[in-house]
Amino acid sequence: MSDPIRIMVVDDHPMWRDAVERDLQAAGFDVVAVAADGHQALARFPAARPQVVVLDLQIPGPNGVEVTAQVLQHDPSARVLILSASGEQADVLEAVKAGATGYLVKSASREELLDAVRRVAAGDTVFTPGLAGLVLGEFRRIADGPATDPRDELTERETEILKMVAKGMSYKQIAERLVISHRTVQNHVQNTLRKLQMNNRVQLTRWAIEHGLDDED
Amino acid sequence: MADRLFRALALVRVVVTLNLIVLNTYRRDNYDHPWAAVAVVAALVAWTGYAIWASSSARRRTTMFFVLDLGWAVGSLAATPLVKGADFNATIPGFWVMGALLAWAIRWHWKGGLAAATILSVTDLALRDSIDQANYGNVFLLMIGGPIVGYMCKSLQRMAVERDLAERAAAAAEERTRLARAVHDGVLQVLALVQRRGTGSDNADFAELAGLAGEQERALRSLIRQQGTVTPDAAERDLAGMLEERGSSHRLRVEVATPGVPVAMPSAVAEEITAAVGACLDNVAHHVGPDARAWVLLEAMPDQVVVSVRDDGPGIPPGRLESAVEEGRMGVTGSIRGRIEDLGGSATLDTGSHGTEWELTVPRRAE
Repeated sequence: MSDPIRIMVVDDHPMWRDAVERDLQAAGFDVVAVAADGHQALARFPAARPQVVVLDLQIPGPNGVEVTAQVLQHDPSARVLILSASGEQADVLEAVKAGATGYLVKSASREELLDAVRRVAAGDTVFTPGLAGLVLGEFRRIADGPATDPRDELTERETEILKMVAKGMSYKQIAERLVISHRTVQNHVQNTLRKLQMNNRVQLTRWAIEHGLDDED
Repeated sequence: MADRLFRALALVRVVVTLNLIVLNTYRRDNYDHPWAAVAVVAALVAWTGYAIWASSSARRRTTMFFVLDLGWAVGSLAATPLVKGADFNATIPGFWVMGALLAWAIRWHWKGGLAAATILSVTDLALRDSIDQANYGNVFLLMIGGPIVGYMCKSLQRMAVERDLAERAAAAAEERTRLARAVHDGVLQVLALVQRRGTGSDNADFAELAGLAGEQERALRSLIRQQGTVTPDAAERDLAGMLEERGSSHRLRVEVATPGVPVAMPSAVAEEITAAVGACLDNVAHHVGPDARAWVLLEAMPDQVVVSVRDDGPGIPPGRLESAVEEGRMGVTGSIRGRIEDLGGSATLDTGSHGTEWELTVPRRAE
């Protein structure tokens, strides 16, 4: 059997952090680090080199969105799974734009969490219906905005699949319904996230150029 | 605020005192009794120094101080004929009297300004043998300026009080929101944890407790989201928030997906759509059972909104709806279709082994 997946748990509630850590260890994962705030998370990440960061968005210090961005800048092969209590919608969307590939609310069951960690570690994206709705809304706003690059927009297929995710269908159900493979559904969903992150980077770069921040180079 | 006005007045006092010294030095030949003039000017300069110090603190700004301040102005005016001779033109203090006048205007507003201006004007006019146009002009400005400056001081002070109140209210609201977030976050964490530990527990009581915790967690989470999406206009309501609320208060486990921003619709339209969604959910509970799960998706386009309601039940058997209509039982289907068509929209039903899905499309009013 291959090595266990290395995980870091970031949460400022000790009770919750312990519970998640215990569940993960019981399921055979290797919890290589825990952190109670953004500073600790960023300090411990380089040495611990986790493959998956299970991250609460509402943490003190650099918040979950900043931690996501910095961790992925440091190690692009790492994966970030957002575990959020309140489902603060704007924050969740920002974290996904910053590169998080999974999102769960804390009321998800133990099994859902373990499954999500495995899938995120394997490079899959974990969407909740709520997140799919947010992403759909974001693409609508991008499409309605000025000067849209067609490559930024979702294809009809991608929109169709994202809508199905938002209506609570599993990838398996979607695959059966559209008579395509599970892997194809997965790829389409991943593409939507990639486009969202790409658009975010393009926006940031454009902003930097407009404000003359590229002169330093 | 009063402190700031008196600080500004201190500057005025310095300027008019310098003016006093320079003008009296320049006109030193006009005096019958030059040493008396030096004494008066020296006394006024000394008083100015004291007045600037005294008026820098609210505790030292007593009524007695203001009376003395104006007393020095009146006294030095009255001393003019004695020092300069009866046929004087300019008084010794000259513009220096502005200090006392403005102090009264700041302290007692338009009434103070008017009272001080009257006292100074009467004194000035009473001393003169004859009144020329320049004298009249000065008195006129004094009588106009005193009350107006006083009135403006009052307005400024009132605005400052209002601004302070508004700032305090904003800070309090912000702090309340911050505290509420912290409290909510903690409560949500505990509810989620109880739910997670208890689900599937052998202990029936604990399992039930876990179920209740889960319900409360969903309700609270939805409430927090709605707080952020209140549209101020009463004629319009946020459809996203209303659907969140309807979903979380339903006895089924319902997940609501929205664009994450308020979707403003005319109140009546938003209420009809929400009611139709409620009817869809009741229908699911009735036909699929209390353990059914349901999902609501709201999509907002510029010209229309689309609301989908899906369940994971076995679907409606073919022909069942048609037979219901033939038997004259319009029932739920009719009520959902009717509501949406009255809004100028359409309702379509898709059913199969994958579950049942209503799609409600309603046009948004042209802007």
